Amino acid sequence: MLFNMMKKDVQKNKMLTIILFTFIMLSAFLASSGTNIIVELTNSMNALFTKSNAPHFVQMHAGEVNEVELTNFANNNPFVKEEQIVELLQIDGTNIYFNGSNRLGNNSLMDHYFVVQNRSFDLLLNLESEVIDLSKGEIAVPLYFKQQENLELGDTITISNQGFQLDVTIVDFVRDVQMNPSIVHSKRFVVHHEDLNLLKANLGESEYAIEFLLTDLKDLDAFRNDYQSASLPAKGPAIDYHLFKVLNGITDGIVAVVIFLVSIFIIMIAVLCIRYVLLATMEEDFKEIGVLKALGISLLDIKKMYGMKYIVLSAFASIVGYVASLFFHRLFTKNMMLYIGTAPKSFSLQIVPLISVMIVFLLIMCFCMLTLRKFNHITAVNALRSGTVREAGRRQNILALHNRLPFNIHFHLACKDVLSRFNTYCLLFVVFIICTFLIIVPVNFLHTIQSPNFIQYMGVEKSDIRIDLQQSDHIAQDFNHLMEKIEQDEDVDKFSPSVTSQFKVINNEGNEENFVIETGDFTVFPLEYLHGHAPKGENEIALSYLNSKELEKNVGDELTIIIDNREKTMIVRGVYQDVTNGGRTAKAALPFNNNTALWYEISLNVKHHINISEKVEEYSKTLHAAKVTDLQNYLVQTFGNTIEQLKLFILFTIIITILLTILITTLFLKMLIAKDGTRIAMMRSIGFSSKNMKVQYMTKTLIVLSMGIVGGTVISNTIGQGLVSVLLSFMGASKMKFVIDPVQAYVIVPLLFMIVVSTVAFVSVSSIKKLTIVTMNS
Amino acid sequence: MGIILQAKQLNKTYCLGKDNHLQVLNNVNVVIERGEFISVMGPSGSGKSTFLYNISGMDKISSGSVTFNGQEIADLAEKELSSLRLNKMGFVFQQPHLLPNLSILDNIILSAYLAKQSSRQTINEKAIDLMKKIGIAELAHHDITQASGGQLQRVAICRALINQPKMIFGDEPTGALNSQSAMEVMEILANINELGTTILLVTHDVKIAAKTDRVLYMLDGSIIGEKRIGKYIKRHKDLKMREKILSGWLTEKGF
Repeated sequence: MLFNMMKKDVQKNKMLTIILFTFIMLSAFLASSGTNIIVELTNSMNALFTKSNAPHFVQMHAGEVNEVELTNFANNNPFVKEEQIVELLQIDGTNIYFNGSNRLGNNSLMDHYFVVQNRSFDLLLNLESEVIDLSKGEIAVPLYFKQQENLELGDTITISNQGFQLDVTIVDFVRDVQMNPSIVHSKRFVVHHEDLNLLKANLGESEYAIEFLLTDLKDLDAFRNDYQSASLPAKGPAIDYHLFKVLNGITDGIVAVVIFLVSIFIIMIAVLCIRYVLLATMEEDFKEIGVLKALGISLLDIKKMYGMKYIVLSAFASIVGYVASLFFHRLFTKNMMLYIGTAPKSFSLQIVPLISVMIVFLLIMCFCMLTLRKFNHITAVNALRSGTVREAGRRQNILALHNRLPFNIHFHLACKDVLSRFNTYCLLFVVFIICTFLIIVPVNFLHTIQSPNFIQYMGVEKSDIRIDLQQSDHIAQDFNHLMEKIEQDEDVDKFSPSVTSQFKVINNEGNEENFVIETGDFTVFPLEYLHGHAPKGENEIALSYLNSKELEKNVGDELTIIIDNREKTMIVRGVYQDVTNGGRTAKAALPFNNNTALWYEISLNVKHHINISEKVEEYSKTLHAAKVTDLQNYLVQTFGNTIEQLKLFILFTIIITILLTILITTLFLKMLIAKDGTRIAMMRSIGFSSKNMKVQYMTKTLIVLSMGIVGGTVISNTIGQGLVSVLLSFMGASKMKFVIDPVQAYVIVPLLFMIVVSTVAFVSVSSIKKLTIVTMNS
Repeated sequence: MGIILQAKQLNKTYCLGKDNHLQVLNNVNVVIERGEFISVMGPSGSGKSTFLYNISGMDKISSGSVTFNGQEIADLAEKELSSLRLNKMGFVFQQPHLLPNLSILDNIILSAYLAKQSSRQTINEKAIDLMKKIGIAELAHHDITQASGGQLQRVAICRALINQPKMIFGDEPTGALNSQSAMEVMEILANINELGTTILLVTHDVKIAAKTDRVLYMLDGSIIGEKRIGKYIKRHKDLKMREKILSGWLTEKGF
């Protein structure tokens, strides 16, 4: 009998059933896909780290290394299992030609390292996750360039200098456990050792990665202390296994979390819908429920009658969602599969997504049961006598008609209805808030990350042009040469050089640790400080947010650093946000020391009438070793991949959100009009035309939409901004403020919703025409 | 006096499925003069309510013609029909069908605000005036849940009257009321009729029909007879007499 009732109910409410099915299926699909990504990411990363035998500690060093000294250290250190020194030949982008053309130019922020395959650990893998093995004349190119330059196997790369040329063929692409993600500004090209020697003899600068594999990863901190206090080569950043994991997992990890959050949103909506439908049905069948109770049918059986449909529907939709995720989750894992590769299928990969789908199903069930509890309060006498549920909270005094407010009657009635029975419109309101939030937050974040102001979260002063000089033997000469040119250049309005050097700092435990400090005059170009201001005197320092947090130093506190083997007490004058260099940087007005310099930077502003791009071009030609970028380019190169992913995500969100809006608005209006049938028929009988009623229902929908958009926008700009800020604070920017494009956020997005909702409402309210007193009576 | 409403050869058929048609009204002819107070009686399923909805333009006729105030309503578009209902007709149903989120006064002025025949200030005053006449002025700012069934039906009558309609249609307007409230409502309707408004109502109750000028009797979708009993004079004996005459006539018809 229950089955027959369900069948009839489904036939009667086809549209409703389809919409609810779609929501539950979508939430099950996303929950399953989200967990699938997390499990697959974990498995794949483990596989990649195992296969490539990832190093536990890597110290980059620009300068000579004493192999014997390092080997002795490794042999005598109890934590070290293996040690290797990897030579990285840095070749400038201007010397590298892909298929005959030089597209990298001087503007590429990436460091191009040419290496040979390592012997036993830190192995460079190909797309099949096999260890790359090359012959002479062959090259394996980082995946980043495969995507950026659309390279294919068999393409040619030419490395040339005046009088020297080497042509190599791409035979593989590199999956590099250390340098895979685009946020890592170094990439490794693998060549044959003979080719590397040939290159070394003709161009490039050698740097070294001193790599260690420990017996037990748990000893990493102890080992780091040992290394840092042993006065070993350390002209460059030190990175470790944990950071590799974070860097590799961050892009896809964020995607997984976002998918998961969207899934939760959709579950919320599905639950709200079911609640709304159940309550509306209860209202409609109030008398019938009373009769059933009077006939002696148990409450449980009545609940079964009304709830069974949703249990079956949810179960079926969850199964379909799970099966769909098995086929389509590749859509989300494409990027991961390319960069990290796939791991062998594990049991957890099958079971965890299934559990997540079951949780979705159980959640819906729980809420269904909770709503059905309302049936407990219906008594037979009550239902049969009154016949209707008394709607609570109707406030007839709100916008009373007789107060003669200067509104059009339809608008007045629509406003009054929305306000006086807001509970009814709550579902739609919440959905519109969610939809606005889902679009506005990523749109605002995209605009923020693309805006030149984002530079303030990178600890970089805002200037027209930025010139970077990387470590080399002639870095000091290059720097002086460049400074001379800038000083003589009349087009330059103002400039400020800075040198980033390695120092040591005494940390909270009293140990020395490496500390990167940018030295220069930081008052020339503005940088927004979270607290305090730029360092001015020689004993003043500004810390990045993460450094300030880790060292537990705030403005006014003292910090001891070691300069030329002497301790110097500095006063913290400012704290700024910085997501570069792992978020750990510092700025001080110390004198330049070329001996400890890691890299040089020059920020400059040109005069108003000067074309920035032409100036960038001019300086690029002046000194090939310098990376000259304008602000926009710097951001695009750093966040290019993130921006692309974000754009894709926004497109995906817009499609989903619009579908959601269409479905919910249709469902809601259909239910509302059915519920308000008598009211509509009565109003038509006293002279309201069907067009008048349609206008009223469309107006009601648009009023709720406007409220939803306002609410959604406010929440996006407060809670949404806070959420993004919390995420970014892990990277070094704790107080991110959205840079809002008012046209996008306040015109295009609301307009998009208005158009979609108006169209949907226009179609949905057409059923009003059929509602007359005659049809209601029959 | 002149004719306000005339139905000629009025038919109404409902399609219940393929080759399954139900004829509810069968060649109905009726002429209603201005100022008349008419009731329609007949057993359940005889087509009384369908007749009322078809002659008032609430439902589309299948064939025949209905003229209201000299205008053929079968030809009117939905918008024109709405305007007709708004300005020239008033409706009172068995249930008051008031909007629950409006106060009693707001329910009454609602259609007048839509019709815009006069200023909102004047409409408010007129509504209060009307409520005073009908004896519910004290309920003006009350919620509809704070009034009794009889009071709500009076509110519905006020609503029907607010735009000064030419004719009021009532579909068992006293059907859900107790006998005392029903009589009070009928007194009100009789008073309105005395002021010149034509009234046609459908009822099962002889006592109610006895207060009208003319009774139409319907059976199987046709008007099979009518009884003119003249204007009701407010005397107890007179009403008893009218009821007796009417009962006798209805018995003849098989009611």
